Amino acid sequence: MTETLPMAEARSLVARARAGDHAALEHLYRAHERGVYALARRLTPTAEDAEDVLQETFLEVCRSVGSWRGEGSLWGWIRTIAASKALMRYRREKLRAGEPLFDDAAESPGTDVPLRMDLESALARLPERSRAVVWLHDVEGYTHEEIAELMGMTTSFSKSQLARAHDRLRGWLGEGAMA
Amino acid sequence: MSDVRHGTTDELLAMRDGEGSAWMKAHLEACAACAGELYRLDQMRSRLKALPEFAPPRNLWPSVATAARAERRRRRLHGVVGLATAAALTLLTVLALRPAGGSATLADRTALQRAMAQSAVMEQSLHDLSPESRALPGDAAGAVASLEDRLSRIDAELAEPGAWRSAPDHVVGLWQQRTGVLSALVDVHTTRIALAGL
Repeated sequence: MTETLPMAEARSLVARARAGDHAALEHLYRAHERGVYALARRLTPTAEDAEDVLQETFLEVCRSVGSWRGEGSLWGWIRTIAASKALMRYRREKLRAGEPLFDDAAESPGTDVPLRMDLESALARLPERSRAVVWLHDVEGYTHEEIAELMGMTTSFSKSQLARAHDRLRGWLGEGAMA
Repeated sequence: MSDVRHGTTDELLAMRDGEGSAWMKAHLEACAACAGELYRLDQMRSRLKALPEFAPPRNLWPSVATAARAERRRRRLHGVVGLATAAALTLLTVLALRPAGGSATLADRTALQRAMAQSAVMEQSLHDLSPESRALPGDAAGAVASLEDRLSRIDAELAEPGAWRSAPDHVVGLWQQRTGVLSALVDVHTTRIALAGL
């Protein structure tokens, strides 16, 4: 998803929302709900989780709309809130379950992978954090530095996760390894 | 010895992202396998971007709007009525501990102290649940908004000057109601946390 509102309209809506205009907040929601949900759906395991992220994101937008200064992209600002909420959710659930924050072996069970999978299935099979790195970097265009900051990890963690995820995808998609 | 090492996925991804090393650049000139893999990684990015977008299955704006309104009300409550309640609470504590004061009996003072202590415990439980950090579905958000309105009205009554002197049993009743409302809020948030964990 790219910017959905022209900058002047975004600034005007945010100014109205800041003053407590609920119609303006709803307009902001309608303009970005699809992008936020689509991103959340890629960063969380279930549709219900993605709905929660969508709600949490816009509650945060309602709460902090005054902190967007009207300089950078409004979609970029909202998207980072959404990514942060989705990744925070992952951390919270891991901590609650007493599991390590990063479990590299956490792909779907078993090694009996079909010889060939479609990309959607292969992506879904990646461990949650690896999938998040692939999506944020390759699709959303986040740098490794930005991903590291969002995840509270290092840049080299982000790079190595991306490489491992691509190796796995290549295998699952039956695209073979280099000689 | 010829250059037999191929680029790693990490190195090829860096190349794809415009951050490749000098070695990788030179190697790609001569290695068809690595050039093919670089092309494949570039195509993979395009294929990922071309995956269909998920659309939200239902309209969530009503629950977001209700939760946002409740949160705004809660902030007002804590910012204005909350201060009044804190002041009233301090005053009432002093009055409750004083042997003489209006029509209050020793039993009233004891009951007041108990009701205030229970209310404080419940308020701490609610605070520990961090209700501000959680989005609630429409029905739960509506229930929370209604409970917070009741809490606001009770706090406003408690903040009335002279309430304790003129009607101590009523004030004790208000504190007990306050505990009940806080308890209901704790129930709503606890249930929401339990459901989210399923």
